[in-house]
Order: sequence, then structure tokens, then C-alpha cells
Amino acid sequence: MHKMLVEKEVQPHRRSGLMTYRPKMAKKLLRKSPSSSNKFNSANMTDDFQLHLDSSDDDAPEEVTFEESKASALRSMKNALETSKREKDLLKEKRRKRQELFQEQKKRRLLPAHILEEIDTAPAKKQKLPGDQAESNHEEASCSWEEGREGSKEGYEKETKKGFKGNIRSLKGNYSVMRVADQSSTNSQQQTAMDFIQARLYGPGSQRTTNNELLSLENKRGPNKSAAMQFVNKKWGTEKKAKAEKLKKQWIQKQKVPSS
Amino acid sequence: MGEFKVHRVRFFDYMPTAIRAMAFNAHTERLALGRMDGSVEIFNFADHYFQEKVIPGKDSRSIEALCWVGGRLFSAGLNGEITEYDLENLRPKYSLEAYGGPIWTITSNSQGAHLAIGCEDGTVKLFEVLEESIQFERNLDRQKGRIISLSWHPSGTQIAAGMMDMIRVFDVPTGRAVQRLLVDRGFGGSKSRETVVWSVVFLSDCTIISGDSAGKVQVWDGHTGTLVKTHLVTKWDVLALSVSKDESSVVVGTSEGTVIQFQFIAPTLQQQQDKEWVRTRTFKNHTHDVRALAEIETAIVSGGMDTQLVVRPLLEKFDERSHASALRKIQFPHRNLVFCAKKAGLLLFQFPGQLELWRLGESDGHGKPGDSLPLKRKPEKLLHLKRKGEDHICCSALSSCGGWLAYSTMSSVRLYRLQTDNNDISITKVPKLPKILRSAHQLCFSSDSSKLFAASSQSSVLVIALSQSECKYVHTLKPKSGSRQPIHLMTNSVDGKWLATANSDCEIHVYNVQKLKLHCIVPVYGSCPSAMGIHPTTNNLTMVHADQQIFEYSIVEKQYTDWSRKLQKQGLHNLWLDRDTPVTHVTFNPKNPEQILLHDMHMFCIIDQSLPLPDQKTQFYNQMTLRSLSEQERPSHLHAFKICKTFQDLLSVSLLDDQSLVMVERPLLAITSQLPAPVRQKKFAT
Repeated sequence: MHKMLVEKEVQPHRRSGLMTYRPKMAKKLLRKSPSSSNKFNSANMTDDFQLHLDSSDDDAPEEVTFEESKASALRSMKNALETSKREKDLLKEKRRKRQELFQEQKKRRLLPAHILEEIDTAPAKKQKLPGDQAESNHEEASCSWEEGREGSKEGYEKETKKGFKGNIRSLKGNYSVMRVADQSSTNSQQQTAMDFIQARLYGPGSQRTTNNELLSLENKRGPNKSAAMQFVNKKWGTEKKAKAEKLKKQWIQKQKVPSS
Repeated sequence: MGEFKVHRVRFFDYMPTAIRAMAFNAHTERLALGRMDGSVEIFNFADHYFQEKVIPGKDSRSIEALCWVGGRLFSAGLNGEITEYDLENLRPKYSLEAYGGPIWTITSNSQGAHLAIGCEDGTVKLFEVLEESIQFERNLDRQKGRIISLSWHPSGTQIAAGMMDMIRVFDVPTGRAVQRLLVDRGFGGSKSRETVVWSVVFLSDCTIISGDSAGKVQVWDGHTGTLVKTHLVTKWDVLALSVSKDESSVVVGTSEGTVIQFQFIAPTLQQQQDKEWVRTRTFKNHTHDVRALAEIETAIVSGGMDTQLVVRPLLEKFDERSHASALRKIQFPHRNLVFCAKKAGLLLFQFPGQLELWRLGESDGHGKPGDSLPLKRKPEKLLHLKRKGEDHICCSALSSCGGWLAYSTMSSVRLYRLQTDNNDISITKVPKLPKILRSAHQLCFSSDSSKLFAASSQSSVLVIALSQSECKYVHTLKPKSGSRQPIHLMTNSVDGKWLATANSDCEIHVYNVQKLKLHCIVPVYGSCPSAMGIHPTTNNLTMVHADQQIFEYSIVEKQYTDWSRKLQKQGLHNLWLDRDTPVTHVTFNPKNPEQILLHDMHMFCIIDQSLPLPDQKTQFYNQMTLRSLSEQERPSHLHAFKICKTFQDLLSVSLLDDQSLVMVERPLLAITSQLPAPVRQKKFAT
């Protein structure tokens, strides 16, 4: 193709006026195969430009045989196939390497094999413990039958603890051990009601103050006016006063140290 | 008269519980008071506001409202249960689960046939009142919000329910909600919060009066569902409402501690003026929120978070200013919470949740009257005994030698043996108590610690013999009158021969302990006895009643003594009778058999029987005057009642064997300092 283009461009350059048609050239053009690789093209182009600069346009173009062009086409196809194959191979390699890395990491996280075996042999006990706790967390506290149940649950705990002597392993899910008797017997509805009334009377927006202020106001407005409660009553707010004393001593110490 | 070394005890951290609900029974003139810890107290308003009965609380019980149906008392609380109380055995009869979630209010209709409760889930449940129990009848239409307050129309056909942001009126026969009255929200910041209608009252002319959390008291027309008048009474919540029997006056309690009265009167004196609800009086008798209110015929009774019960008589109902028209504040319980082991110098403090045993301090010094002596050894707490189980402690006792300790709850009695070796104290529980000893209303040890007396049901007394470390049931002492009321006072003689009991029917029985039978019954006096004591040598029973009358009865001779007859003939001094707190403890001085020592909350008195009785004209509180008189003038001015007011807020006074007095004080200021937070009020110039 390229040769054809070159030829056509040359012609109007050389003849500023009319264009003449050379049938001979056309035949030759048809027979010629397009050049295959870029390298050859560029080389051809420079050569061609040099040619048309140097030589006259009466020279016949170079002859490229059919076999040559066929070979170059085949070569280019083979190259394309090879590159695609190479790319595929590269990807495969990458994937394999990543997989290996994961395997190694997984191996590192797992415990050594013998401990796994030990755990696998005692699955029954482990299953019971979460189930038991889940049940007990739902029980109502008013049942008197619980005392016996508590005793048996504690028995269970002791057994499982013996089994797991040297191993701390977190159980799946969130379980915590607590006695039913330690929980208060107020159920959630009662707790919500108590929270409601507490929030309405003492919660935010209720504008409450302290008993200290109430009594101090009484002192200040009463018939015998006196100071606020914490000053009048020696026993009022003893913790706060002790804390204030301590801070005062510390401050005095600090003042002494830089001066000395 | 004598000088006494006084152990002034202030380490009893007695903390009363806030009042949550009250209900007045006009027929029997009893006021039932429900406190936040679940305890119920019954006050007899016909007998000088005496605290007749106390039903101890329980951890799981909560009381939000009380109501009387005839002579039966019902309560409902946040644990979702309706409880009926057995007032003869001082325990709950039964508890019925209402299955509506926490219950906020309970109220009965005027016919006494139905109870209505307001539940958290928005239902108003009706219960039928049967002979021995109650039975669920039906639900009214279920609403979307919680039902905070209820009020029956006097005819029993309509109920007004106060909810969040609205009031609903239900038609009882059909169960439908017929009216919806929308309550405005507050101003400013509280616009975002829902208004809670804390209480409603339904009057017979279909007027509804409501108090809500925005501080408004609103008057509505129940027929048309429209608002007639709004009164903004406070910046904080209006928590309680109560209407008088003749529906002419409504009192309102607020978070500030004020009680405001509205009356249905014509606002001006012009003729043909329509009556309307006008704000008339404001009382500020409380420092903290007023949560329970009742208007009885002649007075307004209020109680709240500051734990005091205040009875404010309405002055227009009285013809003249008298003792009956004065303000009454009931702050301390009318029974003993402090027990003293006289020989061992130990004090037992009874709390609802535990018992504390203290040893008193010692001092060697001498000084003039009024001096503070230095302590050689400080008082120390020997024992802190927590109760077992949910029921609160009902009563307790300590033997005078300090070797035995007992307490009782509603479900069990526990007996302990104490051993003190120098500074160590060891306590061992006595394991097997007689099965008949399930619970006791009062406990008392004999003076030689050989017997335990337990007051049981129907005014009977169980006698338990105590030996080294075990006990055996001996006998049940039964009264002849067959009274079913519980015993609230028990005392025994020093020589171990006599036991006297007093019950809520004002009956006093004296039993012969050695023969184990009833000896005599003291003639019944109209007022309930509040304190009793048997003299160590003469075996005279001294009784002080709730109306401040004093009697002395000779047990051996089975008749009143001469001194008692003389006292009754002369009559007690007016200032003695005008005291508003009852005497809770009577004790004697072994060294001086003429003396009787008594105390109430504000004074300590020694009655000297050898001195003349004062008449109405004598100066009653004459101790200060006597001190200023010379030796020669004094004898002519002396009289029998020597009263000392140095020690205030007294819980107990006892005399130890070494002639020193123990005064247990609980300053009211210390109680106020531990109350929950009051509202912040801005006062001018502070």
C-alpha cells in the first residue's frame, strides 16, 4: 500500500500541471503486496523519499515478490499469537503465585495440628455450653426451680473448664457467664417504664438543682441570714473539702519548690 | 433529780423512703400510704394520725397507685401486678398479673363494683371485684400511647384517661373511646417533648380537670370535648390532683413542692355570676416534689419525695384555732427502730435491708452539765447483717445481755447467737426454728434471755424457750377477745413474770408467763397505745396513748394505780396534750423507782411520781426557770414533768445499767441532704 501512496504523491509533485496516467505503473501496483512491518515501511519511506528526490519518476518501483510478502504476513501473525500466549502465561503465573501466598498465610494462622485434633475430639461439650447460657439468659427470675438449675449449670462450667485447661480460645458469638439471681428481676418493660418516669422528672430539661443549693437558699433568705450550707455545717461535703485541702497543699508545695 | 452521762448517738443513718401514693378511706377514716420501696402504711386519722400498721416492702414490688374498695386495699405497680393486702395479717393477700405491662394507675368506681387499671400498653382493663378476689372482665379500646391516669365518672358509665398529649374519654358499657381532648405542649424548649397528663379528675357535671407535665391545670367540658379554662400554675410538672367529696374544691400538687387549691366559686361578689374554678390558696409545705395528694373533709394531706406526710387542716372548716387546726408533719415512724442491750451497752439499728449492731463508746471524764466529755474509746460497728431474700425486715429484737439477736420478715424468722470475747464478735445462726414460727409482727426477748416472744396472727403470742444454742416452741398465748388485729406493741417485766401486748383494736392484754395463761385485760381506752413499759419493782404497767394520755395500771392488783387516778382527775397539762408526735418509748430508772422516762421526736421527759402534778396554770416547761432560782425557792416550783428539749429529732432514748442515757438522734438536715434533687428555683437577690 505504502508504495502505491508514495507513487501517487510523487506524480503531482513532479508535474505541476497535468497528471498523466501510466498504465504500466498501475499493473505493477496491483502486483505489489503491501509492506508488512513498520520498520520496513519507515525504511521504505525514507528510501522512497530519497529515491524521488534523487531519481526521476521514470524508474520503475522495486519488485517485491508474492512469496516475500506472504512470508512477512505469516511472520506477523505468528508474532501476534506469540505475544498473546505470553501474556496469558504471565497472568497465569501471577494468579498461581497469589494463590500460593494465600495458602501460606492460612497455614500460618491455624494452630499446629495436634491441638486441632484435641479440640475436634471434644465437640459435644462445647456445643452444650453456649446453648445452656442462651437458655438461662431468657429465664424469668421468679422461678424457684432456678436454684437447682444454677447448681447444675455451675457443674457444667466446672467440667468444661477442666477440659480446656491450657487453652484460651474465644467461643463463636458473644456469650458471657452470669448467674440468674444476680440479675435484677425487673423485666425490660418495667425498666422502660422506670426510665421513662426518671427521664421525665429528673432527666434533661427538668431544671433540677442540688439539696445543697436548696438549703443554702433557705439560709440566705431566712430570718437569720447565714452562709451557704457547706460553710455552716461542718460535716457537709466532707469529700469535696478534703479534696480542696489536698489541692491547696499541692499548690503550696509547688510555690515553695521554684522559690527554694 | 439527777445528773446523767449522755451517749449522744448520731451514727444511725436512718433514711425514710419517698411517698408515692395515698388513698383515704372516708368510712374507716384510714389513710393508706404507699412508699417507693413497696411498703404500705396505714394511718388512723380518727386517732391523732397514729401510724397503726406497717406492711414492709419487697424488692420486686413497686407501688404506683393505691385504692380502697370498701375496707379492702389494692395497689398496682410497674411490675404489672395488682396486689390486695391482708390488713389483719399485714401481708399481701394475693397478686394478680394484669398482662398489660407496667400498671400506672388503679381506681375504683363509686359503687365499688369495678376496678380500672391503666397500663403501659395503652389498654384500660376492667376488673370485677368479687368477695375474696378480683376477676378480669374486659379491656376497653386499646390506645396507642400509655395510660398514665384514670378517673371514673361518679355514675360509673364513663372513664377519663390521661395519656401522652391527650385525654381520652371512654364509654364504659361499650368500651369505645368517645372523646379526645388534646393537651397543648409547653412553651419554649419543652415544645419538643410530649406532655404527660399526670392526673385527671372526672366530676359529676362532666367537667374534667387535668394536671400535666407542662405545669398547667386545665378545665374541660366532658360533653363537648372543649377546653374551658387553662391555669398555668408552675414551670415544672403538676404531679397530683385530688377532688373533695362535695366536688367544690380541687387540690393540685406540683414538682416545686407547692399544693394549690382551686375552688368552684363565683369569682366576684356580684349577683348572678356563674361559678367557675378559681385558684384560691397556695401551700408550700414541702421542699421536694409532691407526688401524692388527698383532700379529706377538713384537711389536705400531701406527701412526696421529701418523705414527710403533711396534714394541712383547712381553717374555714374550724370554728376556732385549736390543736386540731394546726399543721401536722409526720416525719418519723411511730414505732421503734433502735433496740438497746442495757447490760452490754450495745445498740441494734433496724433498716429495711439490714441490721447493724454497734458498741457504744466510753468516756472517763467528768464535767458540768452541758459539757462534752472526751471519748476514751470510739463507738464501733460490730456487725452488719444483711437480710436474706427479697422481703424487707419487719421487726427485730436484741436481748438485754447482748447474746441473742432475732429479726423477722414476712416470710421467715431468723435467730442468731452472739458471742463477744473482748474485741471479737462471733455470730452463729440458730438452725432449726419451730415450724410454727413463720413470721412475727413483733419480737421481744425476756430479760434473762431464756425466752423469745413472737407476736403472731390474730393477736396471739408464741413463746419460744431458748437454751444454749437451740430453741423449742413452748406455748401460744391467745387473747380471749378473739380479735383479729395484729399486735404492734409488746413488753415484758424484768422479773420475767409478766408480758403485756397491745393490738390495733386498742386492746391491752397481760399474760402470766410462768403459768402461760392470760392474767388480765386492761380496760379499753379509745385511743391506740403508742408506748408501754412495765416497772421493774412495782410491776405497774405504764401506757402512753396516741392522744398523749398516760395511764398506770397495777398488774398484780388488776386495777389502775392511785397515781394514775390522780393524774386523770387533775388532767394533763394543755401543752402536753398539744404535742403532735406520739411517745414511742417508756423506760424506767432502776436506781430511782419514782421516775418514768419517756420521749417523743422533739423532747425527752422524766416524770417524777413523788412530785406534785402541774395544773393548767403552772409553767410547764420550767427547767430553765428552775435553774435560775435559788435553792430555797426551787421546791415550791417543782412539778412532776421535767422536760428537756436539748436533743432534737430523737429516734430512741434508753437508760443503760450504768446510769448513762443513750439518745439516738437523726437530724432532719442529714435526711434532707440525701434526698433526690429538687427543682431549681431562681429567687430574687440570690
